[in-house]
Amino acid sequence: MADEKPDVARLVDEGAKAIGLPIAPESRANVILNYERSLMIARPLLEVELDDELTPGPVFRP
Amino acid sequence: MSDPLSKSATATEIAGAVMSGKVKASAVIDATLKRIAAAEPTINAFTDVVGERARKRAAEIDAGNHHGPLMGVPFAVKNLFDIAGLPTRAGSKINIDGPKAARDGALVRKLEAAGAILVGGLNMGEYAYDFTGENVHYGPSRNPRDTTRMSGGSSGGSGAAVAAGEVPLALGSDTNGSIRVPSSLCGLFGLKPTYGRLSRAGSFPFVDAFDHLGPIARSAEDLALSFDAMQGWDPDDPVCTDRPADPTLPRLIEGIDGLRIAIAGDYFAKGGEPEAFEAVAMVAKALGATRTVVLPEAAAARAAAYVITAIEGGQLHLPRLRTRPQDFDPDTRERFMAGLLLPGAWYVKAQRFRRRYRASVLKVFEEADIVLAPATPCTAPKLGQVMMKLGGVDLPVRANLGLFTQPISFIGLPVVVAPLQRPGGLPIGVQLIAKPYNEQAALRVAAFLEKQGVASAPPA
Repeated sequence: MADEKPDVARLVDEGAKAIGLPIAPESRANVILNYERSLMIARPLLEVELDDELTPGPVFRP
Repeated sequence: MSDPLSKSATATEIAGAVMSGKVKASAVIDATLKRIAAAEPTINAFTDVVGERARKRAAEIDAGNHHGPLMGVPFAVKNLFDIAGLPTRAGSKINIDGPKAARDGALVRKLEAAGAILVGGLNMGEYAYDFTGENVHYGPSRNPRDTTRMSGGSSGGSGAAVAAGEVPLALGSDTNGSIRVPSSLCGLFGLKPTYGRLSRAGSFPFVDAFDHLGPIARSAEDLALSFDAMQGWDPDDPVCTDRPADPTLPRLIEGIDGLRIAIAGDYFAKGGEPEAFEAVAMVAKALGATRTVVLPEAAAARAAAYVITAIEGGQLHLPRLRTRPQDFDPDTRERFMAGLLLPGAWYVKAQRFRRRYRASVLKVFEEADIVLAPATPCTAPKLGQVMMKLGGVDLPVRANLGLFTQPISFIGLPVVVAPLQRPGGLPIGVQLIAKPYNEQAALRVAAFLEKQGVASAPPA
């Protein structure tokens, strides 16, 4: 995992454009705050190393 | 034995009284509707009361038209369950404009087929993305033990209605802890079954990978009674198991003989307030459990559950976030929006990690039948409280009440919450965690703790 802190505000602004999600000006700061919290909460997962052979558990049965 | 018309009566006591002819189902429903009317101005657990429907059903039961193990038992459901003729709110304002449900959800139908009587839909956190029981559209469901405090969420109305004695039985949903958190904060017995064990057909989804439905009640026996009535394959839910139903009620009398019980250490022994760990210690002592086990990588499991929830939940609501953002609870909206923007690579990694975590936790269950862990890191926070101190660290309430529940539902293990009432204090619950499809073991332990006077429902 990269140690450099991302520019979350930019990430939110550009990501929202990419998926066509309008974020009202009054919501923007809280979306950024929640994204920053997600970065913190996700850290233990991002630090885990997985073997290449490990595939997800869900099974799609046609 | 409680008076079957009183608010402390259990579902088992009511069904017994109705079946024996000691009391009419109509009298039970009349008493229930009166209690709801009296409690609601304070508790705010219900968003819909279906009094006319309940009275009609009760009259049919009294006429001898319906029989079953839950005969005459009033129950209510979190308002993400379909109720025929009503829009399925799922705690939102937006869904009120959606179609009215054509028929009841699968579990409502199963409970009614067993003789129970639906009396209404219950308040919940918007779209189930919540651990508090607060709701900006319908107001908070209040904790009956202290109405200035949270009921817990997102099945807040389910916890509040049962704890207030409005109904003896309620259904909730649990994606990351939404049955277990209100059970703990309101001091009730709650069952989150194995993933896929009970049909989710006819309920509004949140995170398909983790969504479970289950009961909250005043006794372990009532959990078993209702769980048994709801088991069984349902082709309308693609993840519903085709395993045969495995009745748990007849096994409660076995007690804890032969069960290997251990205490979850490491992640589950830190990061909470002392009362959470004292509760686990009290339960362990009553069960004679001394061995500690470690569920490896639980912190990563909690992180992975968080990531999958944020991304799946956000994706589900993207169309509404585009067209009706102003009609969301601002707090829910902005968490969904942030979730939508998280990297897809995180989601895939979380799903891959899920498989490894499942394998390592199942190894722990080769040497233990039940693992004990706190249900919540603290007792009920104050309504409106945004931050809380856990283990000396300031953390947001909403994201952290499920610290100890998330790593368990992440891999679909069955859990019963055993409530401790803590005289002079607020209640708190302990998770009794079992391996997949072993609900009966967790229910047996809960029933044993109840018999020993360690776990109990709050005084009515």
